[in-house]
Amino acid sequence: MKLSTRELATLAVFGALWGLVEISLGALLKTLNIPLSGVVLAAIGLTIALVGRAFVPRRGSTLFIGVIATLLKLFSLGGVILGPMVGILTEALVAEIVLSMLGRPRRSGFVLAGALGVAWVLLQPFVTGPLLFGRTVFTVWLDLLDRGNQLLGLDPSAAIWIVAALLAIHLAIGAVVGWLSWDIARLLQVRLGRPVTSTNIL
Amino acid sequence: MISQRSLSLGLPTSFKEQYLGTVGYLAIFFFSIAAVMLTPAQRLPWAAVVCLLAAALVYPQAFRSLMRLRWLVMIGLMALPPLFLIGDLDRSLAGIPYSSEGLLSGMQIALRVLVVLVAIQGMTSSVDISSVAGLLERAGMHGLGFSVGVALNLLPGLLQSAQNAWRSLWMRGGLRKQRLRGLRLLAVTIIAGALSRAEEIALAAEARAFLPECARSMPIKIGKLDWAILAVSLPGLLAFVFIPV
Repeated sequence: MKLSTRELATLAVFGALWGLVEISLGALLKTLNIPLSGVVLAAIGLTIALVGRAFVPRRGSTLFIGVIATLLKLFSLGGVILGPMVGILTEALVAEIVLSMLGRPRRSGFVLAGALGVAWVLLQPFVTGPLLFGRTVFTVWLDLLDRGNQLLGLDPSAAIWIVAALLAIHLAIGAVVGWLSWDIARLLQVRLGRPVTSTNIL
Repeated sequence: MISQRSLSLGLPTSFKEQYLGTVGYLAIFFFSIAAVMLTPAQRLPWAAVVCLLAAALVYPQAFRSLMRLRWLVMIGLMALPPLFLIGDLDRSLAGIPYSSEGLLSGMQIALRVLVVLVAIQGMTSSVDISSVAGLLERAGMHGLGFSVGVALNLLPGLLQSAQNAWRSLWMRGGLRKQRLRGLRLLAVTIIAGALSRAEEIALAAEARAFLPECARSMPIKIGKLDWAILAVSLPGLLAFVFIPV
């Protein structure tokens, strides 16, 4: 992937924005232990990354934004938490794969990338828990049911319903993120007077 | 008189500056992470001891910064549940029943979390962001060094402009009605401002004939022992993973 100076600067802007959100808002949400804070952060981060993709519609640009944000988070003060870093990278990777597979940027692609990117937040503990911290999948599963029980008020024995409801919530939030990103990108391109080409978003 | 210097643990700074570079630090970091991820449970304590000893030698300050309440609480929260959830509750302490199998599992989790946190804390305090960007550039992500530099340069301004935009929106009651529209306008204002700044940076770089494909990668600090550490860490990792004690 060969990018021009302008494209690199544009990707830097979006990477810096995502990194800034993770460093400032991320630390605040984690400290206050607000429920679904991971979803909020993923939603904001993916909005930024998807808008960035609309400005640099090239393969690998979303992942590039994610790598910049990860590096900023990694080297931020007091930011030594592996989960968010793995989260940023994988969300960017998921969005990148979806957008690269669908080719030219379009609203449906953004919606799918957003939905799958946010849905990753639900799956991440099942990967990082056992791999990095040696937690059993069973413990992670119980945590998930407990969280679902607290959030939705469903009985923990209705495991399938809890998981289905949580997945639906994550996918819906992600879809809204994709939809909004497309609108924001379009609005920005109009406001900034960017040329509208076939590879661009309008 | 006892000075802070005389109490410091680990290798002397002059030694580290001469013999350890980015590759060495990253080799220790990846070795630590991979060792606790891949080593079977029965050999995990040995792997953890080796990783923690290496960390104590190379970046002892990582332990001090982990002695904060939030890290200790986090380790506790991750390590305690298996005591009651895994296996039969065959033992008790002060009247609280717990499982011996769960105790072993909890100790393994605590060890893993400790090693991972120490490794990340140590690596980030020893290696600078431009060196990592330089390594990634050499691995194929051309222009990452430039982008990371621009991003770092943009951060303070971005934070300020985001705060200004948020306050303006808040003071004008932009979030009282049509909150979604207000948030969308907030995002547009912040991103538009940042893109204008990026445009200026790109113009300045182009005016100085900067071309990403012709640019030299960010410099990486190489220490005399870097390759030796890398050469030792790979077979060491394989030994932990495959050779039974």
